[in-house]
Amino acid sequence: MADWDGRGLPPVAAERVRRAAAGGAWTSLLSAPAAAGLTDAGFDPVGEVMGSIVERIGWQGYRGCGWSPFGGAYGGYGGTAPTITSSDRAAFSGFAPYVAALEHGYGTAMSRLVQEAAAIGADGVVGIRLVQDRMEGGAREFTALGTGVRARSGTRPSRVFTTALPATDVAKLVRAGWMPTDLVYGISVAIRHVDWSTRQQMSWGAGNVEVTGHTELVTRVREDARHRFTAHVRGTGADGAIVDDMALATWEVEPAENHRDLVAESTVFGTAVARFHSGRAAPSRTLTYLPLR
Amino acid sequence: MTADPTELRIPEDAMRRLAEMRPGQATSLFTSDLSVNEFLLVREAGFRPLGLVLGSSIYHVGFQMGRWNKNQELTMLSQAMYHARELAMTRMEAEADQLGADGIVGVRLEIEFKEFGSDLAEFIAVGTAVKADEPKTPDGYTWRNNKDQPFTSDLSGQDFWTLVQAGYAPLGMVMGSCVYHIAHQRFWQAMGNIGQNVELPQFTEALYDARELAMSRMQAEAEQLHAEGIVGVQLRSHGHRWGGHTTEFFAIGTAVRPLRADHRIPTPQLVLPLSDS
Repeated sequence: MADWDGRGLPPVAAERVRRAAAGGAWTSLLSAPAAAGLTDAGFDPVGEVMGSIVERIGWQGYRGCGWSPFGGAYGGYGGTAPTITSSDRAAFSGFAPYVAALEHGYGTAMSRLVQEAAAIGADGVVGIRLVQDRMEGGAREFTALGTGVRARSGTRPSRVFTTALPATDVAKLVRAGWMPTDLVYGISVAIRHVDWSTRQQMSWGAGNVEVTGHTELVTRVREDARHRFTAHVRGTGADGAIVDDMALATWEVEPAENHRDLVAESTVFGTAVARFHSGRAAPSRTLTYLPLR
Repeated sequence: MTADPTELRIPEDAMRRLAEMRPGQATSLFTSDLSVNEFLLVREAGFRPLGLVLGSSIYHVGFQMGRWNKNQELTMLSQAMYHARELAMTRMEAEADQLGADGIVGVRLEIEFKEFGSDLAEFIAVGTAVKADEPKTPDGYTWRNNKDQPFTSDLSGQDFWTLVQAGYAPLGMVMGSCVYHIAHQRFWQAMGNIGQNVELPQFTEALYDARELAMSRMQAEAEQLHAEGIVGVQLRSHGHRWGGHTTEFFAIGTAVRPLRADHRIPTPQLVLPLSDS
């Protein structure tokens, strides 16, 4: 087997695509109601498509928050510590390279999925599961798996649409005049020194108080992830987005003795949607019914 | 949710729209925290989503000393639990206000205890800011409530649709909290009850008292909003991390006011589902 240089699709994927394009049996990950709904909305399943990349995230960009008791870059005992997000390009520390690696992982998995879809003649991919798995030795696998669909239409879109929404949701959206266009996401990691006032607010005797430093950290990191999410949506040219999943993880690090920092990672995943009906209201009506079960 | 696909030229128009998309074309983007069903129903109820809004507060919930052989409310803890939620809610409302929203739908108000500190909890409110297609309600008022704030509602998109169809407008989420300590039984009491099936009147009374306090606080908030009633009330009890004798009772619901005199909705059609779930 010839070594693969990382460009285009891996040889086995290329072979599977060639077989599918030659008219073999098609496969799909759709359930029966999903397939029925999709057919009704004017799409036919073409085949199951995937994209994957294994990446080692080596340098996580971590050198602590840059705080020093001697005044240093971010003030001494008196001042409050700043929150540094991965989007703050000017800061010398922070997690920008780590976030870039995550984005590269998700992005490459998606673009390989799209390449496969385009090669088998699909107009879009629905029901995508985009996940990352941690493997032994610090490597991570990013995988995208979905079902390629083709529209019964004379017009071909100039690009492949992608969505994590299940086919039933796609059918409902399309029939109401909205087209899902892209799977979109925003990721941010922020770090903040656990400063003196934060430690005071967390101590046993503090009573019932807000921990302002931690609040600022999670607020900033979510804000940044949402900004990046919105920027991603804007880049697609869609009209808006529906958020599927918003997650926050936090962990503590201790880069030096008596120096603790709190790190927070926020991810937002969703689907960009574009309106194609011309009227002001969506061309839909609702049937109220009561199931007799 | 159906429309005639041939009349709409689906998916022909959909594909054309995809082909015509250019990056950065849209001037005002919306984001939403709704599911697809909710998104479509909120649109159909006459509201446009503006953006996902959220507010958060990480709070140190300490402890309060008391006399453990007495039934009593731990007022400091009640206030803390309420204050932390209020911080999260007002921050969310401030975000919605900046977007020029008429209201926030599908609000989730949650508490998560954090791994980085035993007494730390994050109070978080997430919802979708919406703007009405018609700036005035059918009876000629604005959709915002009497405090000139966007209305808030923890109803799902489906319930929100039904509420508006039935001629009601949400005013705001109202809540009440009561952290209550139930007295430890005295030794001779516990001994006397061994092997018997008896009511423990002081437990019963304590639970009644605590729920009543939480609910009356919620009602007081609804009255401030001049509401007609409260829908979708949930009465939760949380043990949190205080041990068996201390419990938080938390009442939350959506205060509503009538938009018109009759509250009729189209008679639902009866259907016999073919699936068995």
